[in-house]
Amino acid sequence: MNLIPVALWGGVVGLDAASFPQVMVSRPLVAATLAGLLAGRPADGFMLGVILEAFALLVLPVGAARYPEAGTAAVAAVGAYLAAAPPELDAPLLLAATAFGLAWERIGGLSVHAQRRLNERLVLGWCEGRRRPDLELERRHLAAMGLDYLRGAVVAASGAWLGALALGWLAPRWALDAVSPVGLLVVATAAVIGAVLQLFGGWGERRLAFLLGILCGFTLLLLR
Amino acid sequence: MRIHAPAVALSGPSRLVRAAVFLRSFAIQGSWNYRTLIGTGFAFALLPLLRSRYRGDPARLRESLERHASLFNSHPYLAPVALGAVAQLEADGADPLLVDRFKAAVRGSLGSLGDRLVWAGLRPVCLLFALALAFAGAPWWVPIVVFLVTYNAGHLFLRTWSYLLGLREGKGVGERLRHSFLGLAQRILTVLGAFLTGLLLPLAATGGALRGLGPLAERAMPLPWVAAAAAAALLGIRFGSAVRLPVFLALVAFALLGTLLRVVA
Repeated sequence: MNLIPVALWGGVVGLDAASFPQVMVSRPLVAATLAGLLAGRPADGFMLGVILEAFALLVLPVGAARYPEAGTAAVAAVGAYLAAAPPELDAPLLLAATAFGLAWERIGGLSVHAQRRLNERLVLGWCEGRRRPDLELERRHLAAMGLDYLRGAVVAASGAWLGALALGWLAPRWALDAVSPVGLLVVATAAVIGAVLQLFGGWGERRLAFLLGILCGFTLLLLR
Repeated sequence: MRIHAPAVALSGPSRLVRAAVFLRSFAIQGSWNYRTLIGTGFAFALLPLLRSRYRGDPARLRESLERHASLFNSHPYLAPVALGAVAQLEADGADPLLVDRFKAAVRGSLGSLGDRLVWAGLRPVCLLFALALAFAGAPWWVPIVVFLVTYNAGHLFLRTWSYLLGLREGKGVGERLRHSFLGLAQRILTVLGAFLTGLLLPLAATGGALRGLGPLAERAMPLPWVAAAAAAALLGIRFGSAVRLPVFLALVAFALLGTLLRVVA
């Protein structure tokens, strides 16, 4: 596995999540697909991205809340999966890569917290004894952004490397029935998508629109 | 719905300075920290204006930079409201105390309004729409392009509109925001979001998330798994985001179990 593109893309994803410019290439759906594209397997990246995105929908970066960082973890999970999986689909590995991605989000979240603590020190005393405090403020602000890029790159690349080792060890040892991983992923995805209703007011406020949606969903299924 | 168009001619900061402040607003969270939140980013974004306003007066530039780099918070897409209004107030030579009071007054509402409108509205709605396309079997690039285009159309419109509104209204921007289209937009988005969540559930419970898996996706999901998925969806509806951690832990447990069974055998 070539970690350089993973790190370069991971840096962009880490930066986009909060620092600049928040155009949402840091969403797992986009970040994972483009990570797959860089490795020549966009459809595999997309599949992992869809599953991780369903989980990430429930995370809101409100105020000064600490939250798992889904984008860099999605890049790491795709890097790990592609390094360990054969070109054709490997369902147990897909389940393991999803679990790994969700775990690595927490490491990413910790790194964001550490970066914010570091920024506190970085922006402290920027104008003391400076002849051009405006230039110093600019320099420190841009330095914080540079560090954020570096943080994203390290989180994504180290995750991909560690994940590849873990999945590579796991791949030949999988013992559950082949349909189980797929079934488990379907159940997990359904649970978190159901939970998304809470974002829009929940069953109490939005049941009409929700039920209409279910009706349309079933119609789509029948038409297919 | 009322969308306030910007005034034809804006007094105060020059066009170039206004554009520079707007472009810098995209990096307003660049030095986010627990002490000043986005305060330093606010000063960073406002710097072109402050430099032009206090050219040749380093002491006043320093004093105004220190004021603007203090604690401030807002949703990043609505921060341009405050930036535009403060740019106008600074250009008009407003009392620094008044500028500080204005910033303190708007920071809470810009944060909560943006969180509801964007993080819990526009973003999940655009993502659910993209996921619906994916679950329905669209090629991988279609949901990505659709999401990036629809979301960023709303994102860029909101940033531009809010900046121009701030520049035009100055300290009266709070009143304008209260009567703007944002409240209605948020309500429409929540209805749309609930509809899309409902639309996705039958597709998800029958294996839509794994469409594109090739041979596995061709097979119909066995009925017990569909029933389990439906039950899981009901739990999700009932308990909301509280299900995320148990579901994640269950996936980890199964991933380990699948391996350990072989190791033990």
